[in-house]
Amino acid sequence: MKCDWVKENIVFYVYDEMADDAKFEFMHHVQHCAGCKQELEAAQAFRSDLGALPEPEVTPNFLASSRMHLQEALEHTEQSRSVLGAFIFDFAGWMHQIKLAPALTAALLMIGFAGGSITTWKLVPQKAIISEPGGPSGPDANVAGIQSVVTDTNSNKVTITYDTLRPHTYVSTPDDPRVQELLLLGTRNRTNSDVRIGSVDMLKDHAQDNEVRDALVSRLRFDDNVSVRLSALGALKGYVRDDVHVRDAVMEALLHDGNPGVRREAIALLDSVKADTSVREALRNLALRDPDQYIRTQAQKYLENTPHLD
Amino acid sequence: MPAETAVLKAPVGVSGARGHSQSTGDMVSQTIGRVNDSELIRAAQRGDRAAFEVLVRQYDQAVLRLALHLTNSEPDARDIYQEAFLKAYRHIGNFRFECSFYTWIYRIVTNLCLDHLRKRQTRKEDPPVVMVSSGQEVVLLDRVSDDRAGANPERDLMRRELGAKIALALTKLTPRERMVFELKHYQGLRLRTIGEMLNTTEETAKNTLFRATQKLRSALSPMR
Repeated sequence: MKCDWVKENIVFYVYDEMADDAKFEFMHHVQHCAGCKQELEAAQAFRSDLGALPEPEVTPNFLASSRMHLQEALEHTEQSRSVLGAFIFDFAGWMHQIKLAPALTAALLMIGFAGGSITTWKLVPQKAIISEPGGPSGPDANVAGIQSVVTDTNSNKVTITYDTLRPHTYVSTPDDPRVQELLLLGTRNRTNSDVRIGSVDMLKDHAQDNEVRDALVSRLRFDDNVSVRLSALGALKGYVRDDVHVRDAVMEALLHDGNPGVRREAIALLDSVKADTSVREALRNLALRDPDQYIRTQAQKYLENTPHLD
Repeated sequence: MPAETAVLKAPVGVSGARGHSQSTGDMVSQTIGRVNDSELIRAAQRGDRAAFEVLVRQYDQAVLRLALHLTNSEPDARDIYQEAFLKAYRHIGNFRFECSFYTWIYRIVTNLCLDHLRKRQTRKEDPPVVMVSSGQEVVLLDRVSDDRAGANPERDLMRRELGAKIALALTKLTPRERMVFELKHYQGLRLRTIGEMLNTTEETAKNTLFRATQKLRSALSPMR
């Protein structure tokens, strides 16, 4: 058993990817086992043999001409700026400027204090602005966060409420690019998971767009709300076969998600790509070791259905 | 160009022949310049092209070397290099400082290289040659020479044969295995970083490296 473990980990020892305690255990065994010692020497010799392949060189001329071509291409390239991006307040950049300008910081603090003293006697709740595409009151201030996403299936309209300097409502069809930009913001709402769920649900029909797909993958990987992760997983269903990033994210959910429901959904999506070597490797591990009986059985079933690939 | 950018624009040396250890060393030296990356990135995000070019100079040798090593073709490597930095320039506004610029640009490059390798695999191309900019093909193994004192033709020949076997064995790996192996063995990156670059986990990168080395060892075992 120990020899098996050593053989499985020789490559990580040779490439210095082994934890210190495991390394100690590894070397202790190798010193007392002739077979494993021989195996280690062979692995080290293999690594050294690979030096026989000459590396193509980046010559000074090649580097210089590549730089020249790039500079020419850059002259004709514009940076892409989303319409929404122009309205988003760059807090980090602002803070950076403030750090470099203490005098400005002091001035802003004084203005803020004075302004606050004058205006606190007259706090009037602001009425939400309702705007429509092409309407006269378009978004003209910084978007601070998405408040709510409400869908009316009868009228095929989506209503998104978001904060600017005062609450703002935008009413349009789901296909409106402005709606999609706001929905993308909605997926990142940190305080309200309903907004994230609503946004992800609305975006699932637009997952052919790379930006939308990235947002869904990000929700699947990082969202702490199970419903959001499940919604994102459902929205990505059609892209597991063709988009390797989606496949990796689904694999990651299957291997590491803390919720059994998410993992069971994830394994169901991998049925169509079980020929992928990484997927099969993961399925083999799951079939042997997963604590969830359902996952073990499913993994075993997938492997048995395509035994010719082994 | 803003004054801060002008000050940061230190020349990056252009060097010629290097070995494996030197290439890793180069990458390390390129990473030293990352201290000022965030200022440069913010300037580039505000549309300062000169700042972006300074960023390019910090990473472009490593990027070009990676692309050249994976494609074995100078024109293809140049295309990947150019596409990667143009993509980075167009989308630098989306860079949110959630990872280092180095990881971000490498993620773009590795994706482009993976696409290239997949296309090549479909075309079943596996030339052990390198195509130089003039369009001429040079047999990679002809570049192998043993200049050490006491070198003999027989040893040189064996080394060439081994090199040919390795080149062939590398083409048998899947694009993802090839990429992980390249980033680990030749670029010397940690598996955790490789996982980040390939948008996957360290564990998956580990499994992929294991499979790649198993395949290579089994392909090369008759040589020993």
